[in-house]
Amino acid sequence: MVDELDFYRKMLTIRLLETELQKLCLAGLAGDLHFNKGQEAISVGTCAALAPEDYIVTHHRTIAQTYSKGTELKPLVAEILGRKGGTNNGLAGEMHFNNPAARHLFSFQLVGTCVPVAAGVAWAVKNYLREPQIVGCFFGDGSTSNAQFHEGLNIASLKKLPLLLICENNGLAGNIRKATYLPTDSVTERASAYGIESCRIDGNDVLSVYKTVEEVSRKVREESHPYLIEMMTTRLCWHKQGQPDARSDEELQELAKLDPIPRLGRRLADRARERVEAEVNQEVQDVIRYGLSLKYPDESVIPQLQAYLETMAVKD
Amino acid sequence: MGQSTQGVALRNHLIRDAIHQALYDRMKADDSVVILGEGAVMKMHYDAPAIEREFPERIVTLPISEDGNTNFAVGMALLGVKPVVDVITSDFLFRTMDSICNTAAKINFVSGESDSKKTIVVRAEFLMAGPTTGQRLESLFTHVPGLDVVIPSTPLDARGLMTTALTKGGVTIFFEDRMIPDSTTKKADLAPTESVPIAFGRARVRHEDSGVTIVSYASTLRQIETLVDSKKVKCDLIDLRSIYPVDYETIFSSVRRTGRLLIVEPDVTYAGVGAEIAATVSEKCWEELEKPVRRVGMPRETIPASTALHKYFVPSDSQILSAVRALM
Repeated sequence: MVDELDFYRKMLTIRLLETELQKLCLAGLAGDLHFNKGQEAISVGTCAALAPEDYIVTHHRTIAQTYSKGTELKPLVAEILGRKGGTNNGLAGEMHFNNPAARHLFSFQLVGTCVPVAAGVAWAVKNYLREPQIVGCFFGDGSTSNAQFHEGLNIASLKKLPLLLICENNGLAGNIRKATYLPTDSVTERASAYGIESCRIDGNDVLSVYKTVEEVSRKVREESHPYLIEMMTTRLCWHKQGQPDARSDEELQELAKLDPIPRLGRRLADRARERVEAEVNQEVQDVIRYGLSLKYPDESVIPQLQAYLETMAVKD
Repeated sequence: MGQSTQGVALRNHLIRDAIHQALYDRMKADDSVVILGEGAVMKMHYDAPAIEREFPERIVTLPISEDGNTNFAVGMALLGVKPVVDVITSDFLFRTMDSICNTAAKINFVSGESDSKKTIVVRAEFLMAGPTTGQRLESLFTHVPGLDVVIPSTPLDARGLMTTALTKGGVTIFFEDRMIPDSTTKKADLAPTESVPIAFGRARVRHEDSGVTIVSYASTLRQIETLVDSKKVKCDLIDLRSIYPVDYETIFSSVRRTGRLLIVEPDVTYAGVGAEIAATVSEKCWEELEKPVRRVGMPRETIPASTALHKYFVPSDSQILSAVRALM
């Protein structure tokens, strides 16, 4: 169901949440995070088109992906801030964020990994659980150089798995440009090497993302074969908070014109949009305050650590 | 000498048969157990035809992509499958270091206590053939939290340890030492008629006597047992079976009596399993040790292809006996 106002709300929530989290990174309270500024339409549009029972596996730019999939803000923020009450009580953090209840099964720091893992999930869905679910995995164009991307596509194609491959192509791997890592014009050519169909769309048009994923996921579900959607997008922030951008101000200004959020916002009635903006602002402020109020976990959350500390204690 | 056990026809390698007997029993009892790897169907066809016949949809043959195959198994495990990934030769595990250590080893940790532990077994065999067919990697995996490492010395232990690997939850690296000669297998160590779990972290005391404590595992354990049986050495002989976690209580108990520890390992001594045990025993049994802990193992050198040179890469009887004498 296309609900433009809801798409706007979700993208804006991610944007404002990450803006607040960035302040906390600078204050030393949130570690080193990988934000999704400019890429929100991909997560929001894709997860809206997937069924709630479908699964996702991701790399480390997880905030947008897990929120879009259905993780609630409070446990999300708590986990990002490393607090008790986070989805894993602070053990997973941003880069291994997982919320099986929302069917976000796992995330990985090293890029490429999510592809063969997601293929394994898809095998289990098809051959063990025998459910009609499909598995989505999110990865960037930079990760398509990695052997795990290739081994994963190879296996998924050979085993005819219901795998939806979402490539967030922002033309960057950290601060490195795609000429350094992509010898072909597009990522779709890499998919065809494995007998996998693909298409390329504007990933900053959330309505197009939604529509495409809706069509493709039906195909993946019915035919049980992987499909790759290359979504062209813009990273409007640093790769991660601890790694400043190498792009010029001029370039960033040009890219900002393609921002998916005002692009959708222009379609909405002013009053509805402003109401959502006020609500999201309040919600984000509240959840940040909530997150900061939570306690940190102590060593008791890691049983082996406690046992080890006991053996290290010098007995007089 | 062999025995036939219901379900899995015997080939000519008793430990391998015992592993497959355990796999068969687990596959029969638990429909989430899946075997995967390069040539998986072919291997079952030759080594365990009953598995091929009765559970064909749960044997997954994969391409030559060891790292991807293991990541694929992790994905299966996330939804409750218990994958047994066959990486075939131990040396190939170097390709899977990322998928095992960065991926598989982390999934149970970050889930905390909320989920029951996902199960993954990675199996590989030891040979002695050349530079990249003969490396033993057990000590590398003991260094990584989230992994258990087991190496049976007998068919009985093989069957029990594989049963545990598939019932207790967690990630296990399971090694099969093909340098163990079947001809020396004792009747009492043949695989039993049922798959009975043997807990990890429990060594087996195979002999008790005055003299020294000898800790070993796999091919060197069997070698020492032959020396014991031919009365060439008097010792407590402890078979680790479980390389991580190690049964220190059993080792301490013996060392506190003998005051002398020799570790004989089939792997490279430098930074090997024995180094960790030697350090720990020296810390915990200092008062009772009469002599420093000694180790005998493989030299830190690349294994050459020529079989004529392989004898230098295996502890010799005389090296072992000489080390025992030095401890007395």
